[in-house]
Amino acid sequence: MTNDMRREFIQAMLSRRQLLQAAGAAAAAMSGLASSALAEDKVELTMWAWTPNTQSEIDLFTKAFPNISVKLENAGQGPDEYVKLRNAIQAGTGLPDVGQVEFTNIPGFRQLQALLDMGQYGANDVKDKFIDWTWQSASDGEAVYGIPWDSGPMGILYRADVLENHKIEVPKTWAEFSSSSKALSKASPNTYLTNFGGTADGGWVIALLAQAGWKPFELDGTDLKLNLNDAIAKKWAAYWQDLIDANAVGIKTPVWTTDWFTGLDEGTYASWMTGAWGAVFIPQFAKKSNGHWRAAPLPQWEEGKTVSANLGGSTFAVFKTTKHPKEATQLAVFLGSNPEAGKMWSTKQFLFPVQKDLVADPELMGHKYDLYGGQAVNEVFVESAKHVDSSFQYAPFQDYLAGQVQQEISASIGGKGSLSDAFDRLQEGVSAYCSDQGYTVSQG
Amino acid sequence: MLSAILLVIWLYTALPLFYVLVSATKSNNDLFTSFGLWFTSDFRLFENIRGVFSFQGGIFSRWLLNTVVYATTAGIGAALFSTMAGYALAKYDFRGKRLVFAIILGAVMIPQTALVVPLFLLMSKVGMVNTPWAVILPSLVYPPGVFLMRVYADDAIPNELIDAGRVDGAGEFHIFFSLALRLLMPGFATVLILSFVATWNNYFLPLVVLSSAEYFPVTVGLAQWYASATVGSGGGAALFTLVLAGALISVLPVIIAFIVMQRFWQGGLGAGGVKA
Amino acid sequence: MAGLKSRKRRYRVSKGLAPYLFLAPFALLFIAFLIAPMAYAFNLAIYKTTVIAGTKFVGADNFVRALGDPKFWQGVVVLLKFAVIQIPGMVAVALLIALILDSGTVYAKSFFRISFFLPYAVPAVIATLIWGYLYGPAFGPFTQLANYLGLPPPNFLSKDAILPSIANIANWEYTGYQMIIYYAALQAIPQDLEEAASMDGANSFTYAIRVKLPLIAPMIVVTVIFSIIGSLQLFSEPYLLHNLAPLSITNSYTPNYYAYTLAFANQQYNYSAAISFVLGAVTAVISYAFMLIVNRGGRT
Repeated sequence: MTNDMRREFIQAMLSRRQLLQAAGAAAAAMSGLASSALAEDKVELTMWAWTPNTQSEIDLFTKAFPNISVKLENAGQGPDEYVKLRNAIQAGTGLPDVGQVEFTNIPGFRQLQALLDMGQYGANDVKDKFIDWTWQSASDGEAVYGIPWDSGPMGILYRADVLENHKIEVPKTWAEFSSSSKALSKASPNTYLTNFGGTADGGWVIALLAQAGWKPFELDGTDLKLNLNDAIAKKWAAYWQDLIDANAVGIKTPVWTTDWFTGLDEGTYASWMTGAWGAVFIPQFAKKSNGHWRAAPLPQWEEGKTVSANLGGSTFAVFKTTKHPKEATQLAVFLGSNPEAGKMWSTKQFLFPVQKDLVADPELMGHKYDLYGGQAVNEVFVESAKHVDSSFQYAPFQDYLAGQVQQEISASIGGKGSLSDAFDRLQEGVSAYCSDQGYTVSQG
Repeated sequence: MLSAILLVIWLYTALPLFYVLVSATKSNNDLFTSFGLWFTSDFRLFENIRGVFSFQGGIFSRWLLNTVVYATTAGIGAALFSTMAGYALAKYDFRGKRLVFAIILGAVMIPQTALVVPLFLLMSKVGMVNTPWAVILPSLVYPPGVFLMRVYADDAIPNELIDAGRVDGAGEFHIFFSLALRLLMPGFATVLILSFVATWNNYFLPLVVLSSAEYFPVTVGLAQWYASATVGSGGGAALFTLVLAGALISVLPVIIAFIVMQRFWQGGLGAGGVKA
Repeated sequence: MAGLKSRKRRYRVSKGLAPYLFLAPFALLFIAFLIAPMAYAFNLAIYKTTVIAGTKFVGADNFVRALGDPKFWQGVVVLLKFAVIQIPGMVAVALLIALILDSGTVYAKSFFRISFFLPYAVPAVIATLIWGYLYGPAFGPFTQLANYLGLPPPNFLSKDAILPSIANIANWEYTGYQMIIYYAALQAIPQDLEEAASMDGANSFTYAIRVKLPLIAPMIVVTVIFSIIGSLQLFSEPYLLHNLAPLSITNSYTPNYYAYTLAFANQQYNYSAAISFVLGAVTAVISYAFMLIVNRGGRT
């Protein structure tokens, strides 16, 4: 080999090696890109929700976002799920990415620093799709802690036949409700216009108080102003105490007992004040009363007004421990705001919608129910949803508060003073509890 | 005469169970609107049973299987370990024996409610939560079984038998497994069925340590179905008849286990025959 | 061949070591799943953690607070009343059934045994549905019967009646459990004893009372101790009835229920742990007092 030829050979070898190297590097780069691109795209999320048949909506999501797979778990209903969430928060592991959290419990989990601010991942884009108060209940300015899912705007479900038999008009004001209750119980002993839900359901009491304008606390950082026994509470307490004393309201049977179910069907309790979800619950167990139920707006404290309240309803929340905040937010946002998903929640799970478009959809909301003698019950609740006070706040200790409300009211009905006294005891007890929990408590 | 007394007590026992049976044959709409202790013309037992096994993609079968696995494993394990421990406490004198007694009894005095969350947190640290082991392992500890077997071993195994075994050159374990265990069978069977049912019935522990429905035992599963009516947050489904039918089905394996264990209740030491 | 034999002998466990080895499996699980969480719970009780103020060491504060808490002591009174009502009746009936089944004069023993045992296998959530119905003051079967007969309807869920009503549920649930234990114990009594006794002229009733019962007395004592402990930890039944009888049952009706409420509804975990330990101490005092009384009266 001549020197030239050697030089050429070496050059060729070098360039080939370079070529090979370049090719190798390029190949490596491409496969790396491809694998990392695939790795980034394929995401698995865990979601905890207790609504039945939730998989249908998840399937909708997976179609729209094929790179995200969702493992759905039913970790328990309401309080059971929250216990598990709190345990997992304490343990530091085991939280899902997305979870069903009721409106009432968002402040509590926020305080535990457990919720991700979805506003930082684009959640605010869908803000306008939702009925105002539902969005406001789960967010704080630009920070979004829950995407509204379903709601429970309240109304009164009543037995038209019982009212008609006793020539009672559907009460439009609380004053009418009171006089009608008394008239009914006088005419027919052991028949009540309604059953008092306060003995078993603190949330029911709180919702009705909210309708009356109750603003029980102001929380500013760790300064807490408590106003549980203010004038509104006392007015409410006096109102119901009057009915209890006149034996015009059922107090012997707590809600959700077999006796109560029977009582509703038998006409012992001629009405039930509840959220929109109650309307589809009754048909599932009623028999004799089929066709006789109707829905109407809640009675008002002031004639002519249309103030309503919310009882129930949940949101999709993302937990801070998630490894995929963006995807988790996408899941939450989709399930809450996607019109098709929303429609499905309404028709399949009978959840009352929170999307403005759905609520305005006459076909969806205009379904005529047999149990209600052909009345399009949802229309009543649509109207109600428009008038829920968005300024009502839930406390970070809402579960505790609801429990205490139920305890004190039951104690009073059981003989320990009046309902008014119950609220005084409530103020005292909750103040002590909040001080114990580290708040600086003052009487508002 | 004695049969009459037994029958009266039996009626008392059976009445609530009869309610479950009757309710499981009804539709939801009949459940609260008809007389609870008798059937209606709309007999729906088979539909309800079908419903139980098909609801939520047939998860009930899974729950039933889980419960059988948990209860059988925990039952056998608890019975075996309790028997060994009881035997040791009955037939040996060793240092620390009184202390062991006191500790076991003392530990039982702290209510389970206080221990479940710490148990959860500790198991979390080793990644055991939300697995079958989270339910099985704690259920292997059955202190009443230890005390029962101690008393039983005291009565049922004469010391002469053990001494004879030792004289013959048998090892301690050989004596236990070949001689003593046979005599302890009725007690062993009792502890087995008791811990089997205790695990079968356990609600609180699995509720806290399990978050995936695929691992739930029947108790937690049925409670979840029951609660889905009353949570009132939307999606409420009145599943009462399913719950009652599910409960009816879930006592069947217990009955089977009981029948299987029954034959171990025959006999005693030198009985000279089986007590029928 | 000789080598084999000696190898076997080398594996034999010494008599001194044996008891520890027999205890070992139970002990290890016991330490891991009972003692460890207990230590953790005790640790919770000597600290105080709030979301706002963080965690701080408070020593005996929670215990002192528990000892002075009227809700705790009211609950203890409820428990004592409950134990007095419930335990004797349950033990007596369980013994009665066991003796009858053991006497060999009853047919279909298997059937009866299983039936009596079944309530123990019924999960708690079902018990709510059952007793909610049976005790239902408005539409329950006893109310309907009373109405039919023109009598005033019974109210099982009133404040005065609630404790016996709970005791009734507990009896229904646990009598079969006790019965099985007594029955198994009776099975261990050799049959020739009975033959000897009848030859002495004793009839089966005398034989049962004078011979069988004393022979199974140690077993009875064990079950009574555990019943006492169980009664003092009463929780599930009041918890389930709380929603059925809110006017009669508070969420601190028994100390164990109170501990549950504190932990799971109020998130006051530290105080809840302290309440549990103080309850444990009360339980220990009462149980050991009972064992002393029994010991003084005879054998362990």
